[in-house]
Amino acid sequence: MSEQVISSEQARLERGYRRILACYPRSFRRDNEGEILAVLLDTAEPGQVRVGLAEAWDLIRGGVRMRLWPAMPRPRAVRAAVTLMLAGAAAELAALLTVIATLGSVRAAVAARDTAAAHALLVHQVAVMVGAPVAVGLWLWLAWAIGRGEDWARLVSVACFLLMSLSVIGVLAQDAVAFAPASMIAAAVVWILGLSSVALIFTPAAGRYYRLRAVQQ
Amino acid sequence: MQEATFLILTALADGTQHGYGIITEVRQISGGRVKLRAGTLYTALDRLRADGLIGVDREEIVEGRLRRYYRLTPDGTAVLAEEAARLHANATAALRRLNPGLAGGAA
Repeated sequence: MSEQVISSEQARLERGYRRILACYPRSFRRDNEGEILAVLLDTAEPGQVRVGLAEAWDLIRGGVRMRLWPAMPRPRAVRAAVTLMLAGAAAELAALLTVIATLGSVRAAVAARDTAAAHALLVHQVAVMVGAPVAVGLWLWLAWAIGRGEDWARLVSVACFLLMSLSVIGVLAQDAVAFAPASMIAAAVVWILGLSSVALIFTPAAGRYYRLRAVQQ
Repeated sequence: MQEATFLILTALADGTQHGYGIITEVRQISGGRVKLRAGTLYTALDRLRADGLIGVDREEIVEGRLRRYYRLTPDGTAVLAEEAARLHANATAALRRLNPGLAGGAA
């Protein structure tokens, strides 16, 4: 095989790698693309002209991960807030699954001719079935944005926390008797998670992180 | 700590390495079991740099391409030592329970 054939094969392989590396963030590529290309070409099989499926998948996964969750030094308060918000999403999901698992209790209450209890239960179950999926989505979205250092996410988090507090107060004022101790405890846990994560993202250390990120972006 | 991360830090424990060097070291350390791919390696290096566990030692141009050498930072050394001690303690406990006769033997 002549030198020329080898270099044209290598050029073709390199173009293939470059196309896939486009899925990495621009700033990362500017700093690392040449180096990664060298490693990719060093580890390629002799005579290889196409990017293999497994290595393409590995590269794409890394690029998507880096775009969704860029590596950066996050203060402990921000990391803790993200963990609490993920716990909030998990708690909402648990509430949803509990309601789905106990759907039969309304039927049982109806069968026992306790229509008041059946009505209260039904209202609660519908509220959770509609509200919980939305709440899970909101918690996850905010956890993601808070971790990335988006300053607007702090304001949205406060707004969501205030709305949640109002709805808890409203529901309690209306019909406290209708609630099982379990759902009262669940609501309290979720509310405390919300309060603690909002407190964490407004600590001075977190504030410096969000100001720094605003300058970087 | 994920195994790939642990092996990358281990590859840097006794000196600086460049990307390709880390891949060959990791393969050797793991007895040929772990073959790091470039995407996995560079996502991990990016994260380890952000966390301050590794740093860039120096850069060279070899055959027209950038070659960057990485080294462990003091933080990285401490984290690796802690993780190694934890794994060692777990492995010792497992072996002691599997072979009660050898308790206190050649550990």
